[in-house]
Amino acid sequence: MTLSLPLPDQPAHAIAESVRTGAVSARAVVEATLARIDAVDGRRPSTSPGPDDPENSRRVHAYISLQAEQALERADAIDAQVARGEDPGPLAGVPLSVKDIFCVAGTPSTAASRMLEHFVAPYTATPIARLQAAGAIAIGKVNLDEYAYGSSTESSAFQPATRNPWNANCVPGGSSGGSAASVAAGEATLSVGTDTAGSIRQPAAFCGVVGLKPTYGRVSRYGLIAFGSSLDCPGPVTRTARDAALALQAMAGADPHDSTAAALPVPDYSRGLDQGVRGLRIGLSPDYFRIRYPDPTTGEIRDTELPPEIVAATRAAAEALARAGAEIVEDVPLPNTSFGIPVYFVISRVEAASNLHRFDGVKYGHRTQQTIRDLRDMYRKSRGEGFGRQPKLRILMGMYVSGAQYASQYYQRALRVRTLIRRDFESVFDPQGAYRLNALLTPTTPTTAFEIGAVYGNSVLMQYADLLAVNANHAGIPALSMPGGFDAGGLPIGVQLFGADWDEATLLRIAHTFETLTADAAWRSRRPLALTQ
Amino acid sequence: MLSFEAVIGLEIHIQLNTHTKIFCGCRADSWGAPPNSNICPVCCGLPGVLPVLNRIAVEKAVLLGAALDAQVRDESFFDRKNYFYPDLPKGYQITQFDQAIVQGGHFDVPMPDGRIVPISITKAHLEEDAGKTRNDVAAGVRQIDMNRCGVPLIELVTGPDLRSAEEAAQFLVRMRQLLRWLDISEANLERGHLRCDANVSIREAGATVLNPKTEIKNVNSIDAVRNAIEAEIARQIGEVEAGRRVSAWTLDWDDETQTLRKMRSKETEADYRYFRDPDLLSARLTPEWKRAVLATLPELPLARRSRFIVDYGLSAYDASILTEERALSDYFEAAVKALGGNPKTVANWMMNDILRVLNESNATASDLAFKPAHLAETIRLVEAGTINRATGTALITKVIATGRTPTELIAAEGLAQISGDDALQALAQAVLDENPQQIEAYRKKPSLLKWFVGQAMRKSQGKANAQALERIFLCVLPPADV
Ligand SMILES: [Zn+2]
Repeated sequence: MTLSLPLPDQPAHAIAESVRTGAVSARAVVEATLARIDAVDGRRPSTSPGPDDPENSRRVHAYISLQAEQALERADAIDAQVARGEDPGPLAGVPLSVKDIFCVAGTPSTAASRMLEHFVAPYTATPIARLQAAGAIAIGKVNLDEYAYGSSTESSAFQPATRNPWNANCVPGGSSGGSAASVAAGEATLSVGTDTAGSIRQPAAFCGVVGLKPTYGRVSRYGLIAFGSSLDCPGPVTRTARDAALALQAMAGADPHDSTAAALPVPDYSRGLDQGVRGLRIGLSPDYFRIRYPDPTTGEIRDTELPPEIVAATRAAAEALARAGAEIVEDVPLPNTSFGIPVYFVISRVEAASNLHRFDGVKYGHRTQQTIRDLRDMYRKSRGEGFGRQPKLRILMGMYVSGAQYASQYYQRALRVRTLIRRDFESVFDPQGAYRLNALLTPTTPTTAFEIGAVYGNSVLMQYADLLAVNANHAGIPALSMPGGFDAGGLPIGVQLFGADWDEATLLRIAHTFETLTADAAWRSRRPLALTQ
Repeated sequence: MLSFEAVIGLEIHIQLNTHTKIFCGCRADSWGAPPNSNICPVCCGLPGVLPVLNRIAVEKAVLLGAALDAQVRDESFFDRKNYFYPDLPKGYQITQFDQAIVQGGHFDVPMPDGRIVPISITKAHLEEDAGKTRNDVAAGVRQIDMNRCGVPLIELVTGPDLRSAEEAAQFLVRMRQLLRWLDISEANLERGHLRCDANVSIREAGATVLNPKTEIKNVNSIDAVRNAIEAEIARQIGEVEAGRRVSAWTLDWDDETQTLRKMRSKETEADYRYFRDPDLLSARLTPEWKRAVLATLPELPLARRSRFIVDYGLSAYDASILTEERALSDYFEAAVKALGGNPKTVANWMMNDILRVLNESNATASDLAFKPAHLAETIRLVEAGTINRATGTALITKVIATGRTPTELIAAEGLAQISGDDALQALAQAVLDENPQQIEAYRKKPSLLKWFVGQAMRKSQGKANAQALERIFLCVLPPADV
């Protein structure tokens, strides 16, 4: 069946198989992908604002920069390897888009910020280098919220920002919006994103693709322009669970450049995929079927049930898995869930403010062209011009809550609550505990993709788009979002799995099983609007 | 008139002599390297880079902690100290804020007057160095050299236990000795391996209060420490005697003009917003690792000095000199061992000959081609009368030059002492035959005996046994008149 699909829509494992056997050339794959980008992405990827073309509003705009020539050269090298009888690797010829928060040697590595618009990285991030070593071909860098600070990709300094391939009036989610949109629209077979509070999973849910946030330390952060260093996880965005397994296989493992990357053996993620879910204990938690957030006008804390379609999709997934032999455990308590966003607000901003210190206009990045009085004036003007609104807000907040007179009240307290959140998960995954779960099943997001402009500007409300995702980052555990259907408006619904430390394999196995169980469902055959126009 | 005493504490930045920097693979030592030639993405703080801790830096801190009788934490943490400066590429310095690897401890400092003054150590922590900024005011530019970024440092903080500028200077002398002894740092002050800030206050002699202190920055030589603190004590006494209060200033010592300059008032201190660096795990010392490091802790200078006095019967002076440097003391002990005893003779040779050769060649004892075994062999040859003392001394440079052993050189160059009676008598006779008038003179002036011996020594090219010659001349010369 996959062979009948156009090359850009085929899964990575099928493309790699064809390239390795010589059935299809890597050049043909790359050319087909570039043609798809040409057809759906809109104006040529650029960091300069273009003319305000009404055509823009119908296009995806996933890419900030393309490395088409290097990609074709790489494809030819892979084809030559195949011709010589060598194995170019398990991802041979697979087109890869890279969230532009990763440094890739010789490419503009911008973090979607004017600050780094002209920064060309002299080295390649470890996860990208490993995917390339496995045969994947980097096509270009895709858009994101500036420095990954956001959940809609709208805050990118490089407009027009990415749009949702299923509905161009909606956001793709974020911050890995370009990653999810490019994979959904066949502009890449595989993308690498980063997840700090759901930044892989939420856009994956909004764009109807698979997004995996690995365990913290499973994948090296070397070369990832840091946001919240204790939360950031690089991970794959793909169209299938099998592709996510292949990509994680290539990316995972210890790294001499990152001491927080764990020196643990990496299991074979593809091998167990077909083992089914019989006997797995999968939990459902009431704490993930409602959200608690401050009312945007009154500030009052409110509890709201999730939209029925999202609840129904999650329950439907649970039922399908139950029919396949999984044991569904109801009413699993995760009492500290609602603290996730307030805690994240503090911790991520303290780390972000510090991580942004290096962008001072001294060594690289934007330096003001205005006349300057002194050093402080140069700092102020360079940072004032180079940073957009989101970095500035995060610096203000981060400075405030880590200041000497407030740190114990905010930052230290947030760290303690983070420990409590971690304990919630430890107790339900404990093999000797009361719940002994192999995974938790939850909705990925409280809503499907929202309209462009509907939430942007309200930083607090925007943050609550990550409410159901963020606690995996606090706890460091792996989590995956997979497509679970569509809402009445034709927008994808994401279903999320949480797992125990280092147990990505079980999440991939459940996701793969769910794909198999729903392969013939009508919703599986829907195509993004961007591909039909 | 009141009498005052000074209360001084030091903060010393010690540059470690690791091979690589503390968080990347660049060489730690950039001495003489052109600006920005010893850098990489990590130490320049490029976007996306991460630090990876150099284990050797941790080991050196453990050794220092053990030598200072301190608590070495099994788990210590790294924090970010956030501030902006052009030569701080990340905009924060990675340091250890509240859980430093070395906590407490003390350091016994021998003073020239024989007292041993115990100085408490508050803490010592690991951190990375910043780069160097050069302000070219005329050209209106500021130039940054990042070679020094990421060089491993230990910052050591003492208690306020020093009571004079001289004590502070002696502390630094002994600390430099210890650091070299432990092979932690080259401890070369001229090269900035040791950088010192001094906290100074005064109080009425015998009081226990701590008055507001000033911090003197950039005192980077032993003399500067002495002079800057002396100047500051005098200034503070002047203030108090004039009825003014000493304010908590930060002062800069200008070594050129030997003057103190006020940099800023302490009240405006920055908030560094310290927090744990999420990019680094804690430094966790496993028991095996700690044991292995501590097993390399050598006997310390003061202990070795007392042992030399007690076990070898050396004078306090000789023992001090011979324990100045670890390599020198090791050399001495190896020579004693090779000789099978006679430590005083070995010490005598060390003080007279080995130290001279070391000074002349600017070498350390461990690098000397004239090995302890060579010294033992030479001493044995002199004691046996095979060569005389002067030949022994001459042998040192010959061994260094040729790489041959003393015994080989004696055989090859005919350096053995002439001590057979026949040979010596022939020598003496030849001198007498050539100098009849001197024989007459000798009758009036018996001290000419030395002259005759000297002539004979010259004839033998220094190889004759001088005492035997003297005996022979006494026999063959006519009796003196007096
Ligand atoms: Zn370096």
